[in-house]
Amino acid sequence: MSRSLKKGPYVDAKLLKKVAAQIKTGKRDPITTWSRSSTVTPDFVGLTFLVHNGRHHYKVFITEDMVGHKLGEFAATRVFKGHTNKKEADKAAPARS
Amino acid sequence: MPRLIGVDIPPQKRLEIALTYIYGIGRDTARKICDSTGLDRAMRSRDLNEDQIAMLATYIQKAYPVEGQLRRQVAANINRLREIGCYRGMRHRRGLPVRGQRTRTNARTRKGPRKTVAGKKSVKGMK
Repeated sequence: MSRSLKKGPYVDAKLLKKVAAQIKTGKRDPITTWSRSSTVTPDFVGLTFLVHNGRHHYKVFITEDMVGHKLGEFAATRVFKGHTNKKEADKAAPARS
Repeated sequence: MPRLIGVDIPPQKRLEIALTYIYGIGRDTARKICDSTGLDRAMRSRDLNEDQIAMLATYIQKAYPVEGQLRRQVAANINRLREIGCYRGMRHRRGLPVRGQRTRTNARTRKGPRKTVAGKKSVKGMK
């Protein structure tokens, strides 16, 4: 179910404060954040965020198209590097059988 | 055989059904179109006269995105997701289900025909 319009988009209060400060000063340092559930508002465009993916902070530069999405959508929590090849797997763990 | 919006040639069916042969128009939209243009839903589309066809065509194109325009719109939406590097875009790029469905089994519509991997345990075996 989608969020009630009455409430407006969810943005972490602290994050909003940091964004407001950057807009005011014109500084463009990446903002480190754990708030993956915060919605990208139009104010965010042009800023860079370091969004936590559970392990690292992943660099996300906000463009206009990203407005309305959540920050977490841009920092993948799972990294799939493909299935192991059978031969490689045998080399990696040879003493099993 | 009446031609509506380019290539669509709905046959001797009720108008409300014939209109659904146009990409982007389903049963509900077809009904709304009939009602708001004042045409009888039950009439056969072969009974439409030239004026009615022209009127229908202009009305539909004004009120709804259909055919090529709609296809382009959908493709553009997907392309946007692909380009902004979000999760849904990733799933589109990889050809996997986008809306959180399971992929351990099923998901064949998105993944295409099965690619059998030697040594992989069956679903029964995984339990």
